[in-house]
Amino acid sequence: MKNRQTLLTRITNPKYIMVYATIGIFLVIYAAGGFLYGDKGFLTVRTFVNLFIDNAYFGISAVGMTMVLITGGIDLSVGAVASLTGMFIAYGTTVLHLHPLTCIAAALVMGVGLGLLMGWVIHYLNVPAFITTLTGMFLARGVCSLISRESIDIHHPMIDALAGWKIYLMKFADGKWVRIRPIAFVNFNVLLFLVMIIIGAFILQRTRFGRNIYAIGGNEQSASLMGLPVGRTKVLVYGFNGLCSVLAGISYALYVKSGWNLSLQGGELEVITCAVIGGTLLTGGVGYMIGTLFGVLLKSVIPALITFNGNLLSWWGKIATGLLLLLFICIQRFVVTSTGRRKGQ
Amino acid sequence: MPGKNILEMRGITIEFPGVKALDGVDFSLREGEIHSLLGENGAGKSTLIKCINGVNRKDSGTILLDGHEINPSGPNEAMTLGISTVFQEVNLCPNLSVAENIFVGRQPMKRGQIDWSEINRRAEELMSRFHLDIDVTRPLSYYSTAVQQMTAIARAVDVQAKILILDEPTSSLDENEVQLLFSVMRQLRDSGMGIIFITHFLDQIYAVSDRMTILRNGHLVGTYNIDELGKFELVTKMVGKDMDVIFSLKRANVPPDAPVMLKAEHIGDGSRIDDMSLTLRKGELVGFAGLLGSGRTETAEMLFGATRAVHGEIFVDGEKVSIRTPFDAIQAEEAFCPEDRKRDGIIGDLSIRENIMLAVQSRKGFMHPMTKQEQTELADKYIALLGIATPDCEKKAGELSGGNQQKVILARWMAASPKVLILDEPTRGIDIGAKAEIQRLMLEMCGEGVSVIFISSELDEIIRCSNRIVIMRDRAKVAEVDGASCTQQDILRIIAEGAA
Repeated sequence: MKNRQTLLTRITNPKYIMVYATIGIFLVIYAAGGFLYGDKGFLTVRTFVNLFIDNAYFGISAVGMTMVLITGGIDLSVGAVASLTGMFIAYGTTVLHLHPLTCIAAALVMGVGLGLLMGWVIHYLNVPAFITTLTGMFLARGVCSLISRESIDIHHPMIDALAGWKIYLMKFADGKWVRIRPIAFVNFNVLLFLVMIIIGAFILQRTRFGRNIYAIGGNEQSASLMGLPVGRTKVLVYGFNGLCSVLAGISYALYVKSGWNLSLQGGELEVITCAVIGGTLLTGGVGYMIGTLFGVLLKSVIPALITFNGNLLSWWGKIATGLLLLLFICIQRFVVTSTGRRKGQ
Repeated sequence: MPGKNILEMRGITIEFPGVKALDGVDFSLREGEIHSLLGENGAGKSTLIKCINGVNRKDSGTILLDGHEINPSGPNEAMTLGISTVFQEVNLCPNLSVAENIFVGRQPMKRGQIDWSEINRRAEELMSRFHLDIDVTRPLSYYSTAVQQMTAIARAVDVQAKILILDEPTSSLDENEVQLLFSVMRQLRDSGMGIIFITHFLDQIYAVSDRMTILRNGHLVGTYNIDELGKFELVTKMVGKDMDVIFSLKRANVPPDAPVMLKAEHIGDGSRIDDMSLTLRKGELVGFAGLLGSGRTETAEMLFGATRAVHGEIFVDGEKVSIRTPFDAIQAEEAFCPEDRKRDGIIGDLSIRENIMLAVQSRKGFMHPMTKQEQTELADKYIALLGIATPDCEKKAGELSGGNQQKVILARWMAASPKVLILDEPTRGIDIGAKAEIQRLMLEMCGEGVSVIFISSELDEIIRCSNRIVIMRDRAKVAEVDGASCTQQDILRIIAEGAA
């Protein structure tokens, strides 16, 4: 038997198991929703696109989080940094009357800078990522409240234009393009999310930097013995995650058009959940952007189902997400031990 | 025809705090030769290797590569000079594919992107040179240690290495895999590469190398052609006086009426072992012989409660005991040194003192802590008694050599003064001198009335030390023979054919 690569072995490569599980479970839940609430319009394009619109900011942050998790790290500061970005924009435009782009530039400097700093502390001072980023979280959250303890509305022509901008989905009928019914559209947030997923996937799969991320997650000591730039890679990954947090913050500001010091509390955990149910291993070394994309969809399809049901309390969404997370952690455990066994260890 | 020297080391001296690890050692490697580096643990082999690949800096001496002096500051620089090292533990990333492990960090690029098809094609080419026809896109963890080892070599070779250092590459390979590795080594040698080969297996040295260099206690003993030196002379040169220890070992003397210390009746764990019975007298040493997977370790784990015996009865010192967890076993004054000392035995981040204290403290209970001074006294006593090579008892156990770690585990259980001591492969992966030392300690403990179960894959040491030998096969006891009157052939025949 030839052991060479064929299309079949490429598809059945065990490294994709987790991604298949995510996509499979999403399809099952989506199909179940279609079966139960198809008559209420669950299967329409509009419902599907809304999954993206309502969760784009989590998705954008999950792109960076996926990379951090693949290195074997974690970042708890993302929710606070995104919230702080919203505060920058809200306070800057509404109170200080600055241009939003100025505020965004300041937020980028803050987010990326904090990310790089945390990465540096984690690698060079050898402080566990959990502690370092927890500190980052308190820091960012504290500054949020320092700026204002009230919710601030954002009113600026540019922000309004960006938030209101949308592309209607069209179909070709009777010789001309018409909007599909029920009306469905894609907004700036959704595009940003999809673009970030593509950029993330490109970095992870097609650049040396991305492959070093995987190598570090596989075995950091080996990676440095193989001559890979471990320190630089880790610092840059946290920096990139800071960038993603800021973009998520912008996206959230566009979504709610306000800044509030207590917004997105616990958001970091939602983001981590998206990545993990998307097949990213918490122990590092494994994860794919396509998995994260479906992880976001999977996490957002549950509240959608509850809305369609109409009778269930929204807390059932939390319970279902919890169970889902538990299921995925169990699958991961199983996959890790069953592939680890082969070495006879 | 001997090639020219590609590597020459002259008068290499390296000092660590308190020890001279290498003292004026000369070493040379020719083009197209496999050169074995031999010596006990602590003889300076690793230090010499690390001096070549830049992990350690030498204090004096010169290293010439192709006639030019080099002074590599780390593995990366050594690699660019053409010196690659494959370590005992495979230093690759298990989650990456075989192909990627070979090329990560220097992937071929095309239009600013990684050229995956080129990576996979070249990896396949490299692996097929080693007669490995595998799917190189699968994760490394999917394959056996042998394939992983080959991958590490492929990575080393692909950086255009002139010198390849193999540090104990065979310790976790089976016979076929070793042969595969050897054929790759010969192939590389014939293409002009100089290979430095370190192993503990004497047969392998004779099977594959052209020359050998022997170190002892940081000094050069000599460099010899392979046909110049027989095995016995080789061992004598390696261990010096330690050979005498092995020949002076005497079996424990057990009177026929000695009380039974441990008795197991028809125990089984419900899956791996079905029905196992065993008696062990006071001061007796019983050896477990059998192939890997024959049930030796499983039996030991059951006796110690690491896996639960679901049926059968265990008696310690005449009393029926219920052993469900290792804690119960420690309360019943049993002790167990597991097979994989790195994983199950030594706690590398704790000091030698703390490692030794573990079992004593567990026996005394945590309500009765010992003072630091008592602990230090006890630890120092065993360090001296067992000859553990360390500056003091506060050194981290993980920094010791394999043989010394094993001694620390032994000390842990000796300090707890158990009635029954179970040792699973205590001599694996350590050198002959340390092996002799461990065996001597085992027998001394028997002399003090401890009953010992000794599991080993090396029949000669089982026969040398055991009063009785339990032979296991297919997860069951097939025979029990007298240690004094049986031969290796007897045991091998029983292992191969079952009881007569």
